[in-house]
Amino acid sequence: MSLGRFLIKRTVHGVFVVWGVVTVVFGLRFLTPGSPVNAVAPLDASQELRQRIARDLGLNKPLYEQYFDYLFSLLQGDMGYSYLRGIEASTLVLGRVPATVELAVAASFIAVVLSIPLGVIAANRRHEPADYGATLFSLVGISTPNFWLGIMLILVLSVQFGLFPTSGRPLGLYPALALLVTEGAPGGLLRWLHHIFLPAVTLGTYFTALITRLTRSGMLDELGKSYVRAARAKGLPEALVRYRHALRNTLVPIVTVVGLQLGTLIGGAVITEAVFSWPGLGSFLIRSINVRDWPLIQGSLVVIGVSFVLVNIVVDALYAYLDPQVVTE
Amino acid sequence: MISPRTLRNLRSELRRSALAKLGVTLVVGIFLMAVFAPVLAPHDPTDQNLNDSQLPPLGFSTTENRTTSEFVDGEVTIVEEEVTVNATAEHPLGTDSLGRDVLSRTIYGARTSLLVGVIGALLAVLVGVTYGLVAGYYSGRVDDGLMRAADVMLAFPSLVLAIALIGLWGRAAIRIPDPFVAAGITPGMPPDIVLPGTVVLVVALVNWGWFARVARGEALSLRSQEYVTAARSMGAGDAFIIRTHVFPNSVTPILVLATIQVAAIILLESALSFLGFSGATLSWGFDIAQGRQYLSSSWWIATMPGIAIVLAVVGINLVGDWLRDALDPGIEQGEGGV
Repeated sequence: MSLGRFLIKRTVHGVFVVWGVVTVVFGLRFLTPGSPVNAVAPLDASQELRQRIARDLGLNKPLYEQYFDYLFSLLQGDMGYSYLRGIEASTLVLGRVPATVELAVAASFIAVVLSIPLGVIAANRRHEPADYGATLFSLVGISTPNFWLGIMLILVLSVQFGLFPTSGRPLGLYPALALLVTEGAPGGLLRWLHHIFLPAVTLGTYFTALITRLTRSGMLDELGKSYVRAARAKGLPEALVRYRHALRNTLVPIVTVVGLQLGTLIGGAVITEAVFSWPGLGSFLIRSINVRDWPLIQGSLVVIGVSFVLVNIVVDALYAYLDPQVVTE
Repeated sequence: MISPRTLRNLRSELRRSALAKLGVTLVVGIFLMAVFAPVLAPHDPTDQNLNDSQLPPLGFSTTENRTTSEFVDGEVTIVEEEVTVNATAEHPLGTDSLGRDVLSRTIYGARTSLLVGVIGALLAVLVGVTYGLVAGYYSGRVDDGLMRAADVMLAFPSLVLAIALIGLWGRAAIRIPDPFVAAGITPGMPPDIVLPGTVVLVVALVNWGWFARVARGEALSLRSQEYVTAARSMGAGDAFIIRTHVFPNSVTPILVLATIQVAAIILLESALSFLGFSGATLSWGFDIAQGRQYLSSSWWIATMPGIAIVLAVVGINLVGDWLRDALDPGIEQGEGGV
């Protein structure tokens, strides 16, 4: 199978999963006690008014009709209107996406930049203090709930030392960059960095710890293999053996595990946003659930589910590039 | 299922590895803490005492502004003074904003975490393993169909799905009478153990897919083994073969995954309690949320339960490593952590 066919197959599979996701999200409303009318109608609404609201929301149609209506409007990018605010749900939901993407990308950046060197150093200095330090860090890092880590960072760095703001996102990356271009002053960008630093560290620590652990054990595995001995025997420089040969082969399983853990990244973003009042999709979803604003709940879940599937396809492509064997299997 | 050789491997790995010893010690410690909570806790964890609120833990002291009004010569004067609040031995880890003992609450919190972690993981194993074994054993169309459905479940980040389900379904709690209180050993302690029922169901629901994947992989490779073919040719039924041949031979990776999942579920439960979605009020996550509001005055309220979570999860992860190293199967890691 060629790489192209492999990707097409994965994409078709992805489309099915997305369809499943949308169906589950649609079904969720019918598995939930209480009519959506309750979210909209005043407490003392008459029976007549409640019926009119149900008709307006399209709730009196047969189930299958509601389902197909939902599917087709989604295909056109229409998520309905917020029950409580009367604004298009897609505008509200998509407006929250940039903040979450920023946070996830910043956290992943921190994780990759720190963890791979840390794991390599630990493997190079096995049984030395650096190795024990890295092992301890990765063990505690994967075992710490990130909301608690966030609170502890706020406690020490914000409350005690006043180094970072405790919450909020006054400026997105895009406006920050725009300011940099138009005014030439790095102030906007610095302000952005200042606010995103703690949330990004909070979200990124688990992944830093996880990838450090995987890099260390992967490097140790690879360095014990016979191709490494052969490469050394033919006189290749040690750095070349370690980084071109061993590290490259270590990356393959790392990409797999990181791909599997993407859900943790998104879930972690939800709770990190709650801790730092970061105005992303996660805090938005929690608020929408609390007020039972169905179009917003469904819209956020669909966006999260679909982006998760998309990112997984990208990871698969990366995986296929790093290890061509998966394509032929 | 567990051969003498397996036991020997487990024992020698435990003797060899200091981390495995640490893990077992932590897990046994947390387990005992959960079981004997009413005996170990110095106070009723729900007992409020506003006179003793926000006491610092031993070794620390805080200052507090107190205002008192005095009636002197027909005039009321309000005196504001700074008072030093010292720790007391009665509350070694201090008290929270309502004067509840932080140590007792931390001990009791182990119950909620372990109950949800273990019962949730068992439920997920039950559903996921059955599902995965059937999919892998029959393979082909059945496998395709079943695993697509599992993929859809795994397409949602577990925390997101859990938040959505609990937020929408409500928080049913199951009250189990505490045996120590019922037997009259520790009168005055809370009479019930509160098990957040919806949380248990939801964590199982969002995690069974991992077990389905692993069990399927095992069944897929076992189904063409000669002993399975032999059993089939002797006329054994599919259910019998799955039960007696396929399942016992796939126990090891499932056991290791289950261990890691208990840790992941404990983290998930604490996150749900932190967000106020679980309905449990004697839970580490819930206490962290409470303490968060008093960060600038009483850091210990949010700090102590968090340390307990880290110790519990470190312990379980180390036990998972120990099992994996001793039994050494090629194991697919599930989603973990929050």
